[in-house]
Formats: sequence, C-alpha cells, structure tokens
Amino acid sequence: MEYRIREYMDQLFESAPRTQRAYELKIELTQNLIEKYYALVGEGKDPEDAYNLTIMSIGDVRELFSQLEDDENGDPVPPPVYYPQPQPDHRRALVRTLAVMLFILSVVPPILFGELFGDSFLDGALGPIGMFIMIAAGVGLLVYDKWAHPQAPQPVPGSVVKDFQQWQRQKTVKRHYIAAFNGAFWPLVLALYFILSFGTGKWYITWVIFLIAPAIDVIVNTLLSSIMNQSGK
Amino acid sequence: MSIASDMIRGHTDTIILAHLMSGDSYGYKINRSISEKTGGQYELKEATLYTAFRRLEQLGFISSYWGDENTGARRRYYSITPAGVQEYHRMLEEWEQSQRLIQTLITS
Repeated sequence: MEYRIREYMDQLFESAPRTQRAYELKIELTQNLIEKYYALVGEGKDPEDAYNLTIMSIGDVRELFSQLEDDENGDPVPPPVYYPQPQPDHRRALVRTLAVMLFILSVVPPILFGELFGDSFLDGALGPIGMFIMIAAGVGLLVYDKWAHPQAPQPVPGSVVKDFQQWQRQKTVKRHYIAAFNGAFWPLVLALYFILSFGTGKWYITWVIFLIAPAIDVIVNTLLSSIMNQSGK
Repeated sequence: MSIASDMIRGHTDTIILAHLMSGDSYGYKINRSISEKTGGQYELKEATLYTAFRRLEQLGFISSYWGDENTGARRRYYSITPAGVQEYHRMLEEWEQSQRLIQTLITS
C-alpha cells in the first residue's frame, strides 16, 4: 500500500514544475501521507479505505503547483534550453584573413625579384625564399588560431535535455568533417601549386591557383554545411 | 459546518503559526492536531496545508529543516521565526477584533 501511495504521488507530480523545491515537496508530502495512512490503519481502518481516505485528503494541488512555478525564493525553474550562438570573433577573423592573404601574396616575391634582378642576384633564390617565408607565416597564423581557440564544449545553463545533446552531437560530427576538409585543403593547394610550377616552369601563371582555391574553399564549405544540416534534420 | 470550514480555511496561516508557537512540528502532526482539537470535525487538505507552508516560509514567518530520523523516513520540520511570532500576535489581535465585531453584528 505504501508503494501505491508513492506511485500515486509520482503520477500527481508529473504536472508539477521540475524544480528541487517540487521534488522536496513531493518527498515531504509522500512521507506525511504514508504516516497518515499507517495511523488510519492503526485506528482499525481497512487498508483499502485507509488508502482512499489518504489520497482524498490531498485535495486540489493546482494552487500548490502554481505556487511552485512562481516561487522566486526557491530554486528557479530551469531556464529554457538555449542553443549557444557562435559569437563572431573579429580578432580570429583577422588572423585567418591575414593568413589567407599571406598565401595569396606569397607569389609576389618570385615575380617581383624575378622582374627586378632576373636570375643574376643570388641565383634567383630570393624570390622563392620570400615566398616560403610568407607561406610559413600564414601556416603559423592558422596553427596559432587553432591552438588559441580549442573547441572546448560550451557550458550549458540549466538542465541538459536530450534534444540539446543530440543537437550538439550532430554539430560535433559536422564540425569534424568541415575541420578535416579545411585542414587538408590548403596544404593540397600548396602542393598542387609547386607540382604545376616546377613541372611546367610557368611560374608567371600558376599563382592563379591561389585565386581559385579560396573560391573552391568557400563553395565546398557551404556545400558541406548544407548537406550536414539536411542530414541532421 | 460549511461556514466554519470556510472560516477555518481563511485562518490557515494563523492556525499553523499557533501550532508552531508551542514547538517545531511537521505536516502530518499539525494536521492531526487540528483534527484532534476539532474532535475529528475538521481537517485541512494536504494541498491547503503545504500551500500555506510555502507562503509562510516565503514571507519569512516560518523556516524549515529536514529532520534526522533514524528510522529512514525523513520529515521536514517547521519552526516559527521571530517575525512569525510577531505576525501571530498581530493576527490573533485582528481575529479578536473581528470576532467582537461580528458578534455585535449578528446577535439581535
């Protein structure tokens, strides 16, 4: 019978707000009802009658529950689930832009030094050296960017509901694919540039790769995002 | 009996405070004492009682704590605060006043 009372209370509190206060109230109320039930049985009541009398004595809990809802002194109702919006980070954007610019402009030194000195000065090595330095700086900036912003899970206020966990899982998978693509893309572009340049010797035109590559990057990223979003739904 | 029930319900707060004036207590004990004092004629609904507890606690007239029963069943005890004692005396006075007033109004 005690179990039946507990079961009844579980059902009753289904409609109560999910707060610590409500939980404590349930414990307290259940405890007192059980005590009442045993007192009634002790008075010689039939267990079934005692159970009914006990349940009947609860009365209308609507006011009690509505009080729990706007109980400002108690633990507030967990705030509605909210999805953290990625904040635009201007400094980060600047670092990335600078890195991409260095990649694109890295072809300037070979052209410039080639025009100015031909192959006469340092066997024409100055141009490629300048290019490598710029590429190294660009890669360095991207690496710094990754390290400075580790993708730590963001704290979620309030209770974590299944919805959110699922959303986050999907997002993590999505990010993973996009990150993998971004990681491989620029080194591949660079490799292609060198293969084409050394292979053809047409250094004056192969740099166009660095104009085409960002466009491909943007297109692929957009496609990946939209595909992931669709499969996530 | 319905007039009495309504009146008693209107004074739930005072009844609880009055009970706690003689020491800390918990929900079932308070309700049982009400039932005993009225000769089994009246008993508060649990919902009414606990709504009043929350209200009084919010107003700072009572405070609560979990008891440390050894039997495993933990009870939530309530005790009256100094502000609650003050409130009790104020309510008692108010009641006595209105009682006198009603008395003069309803007796011919």
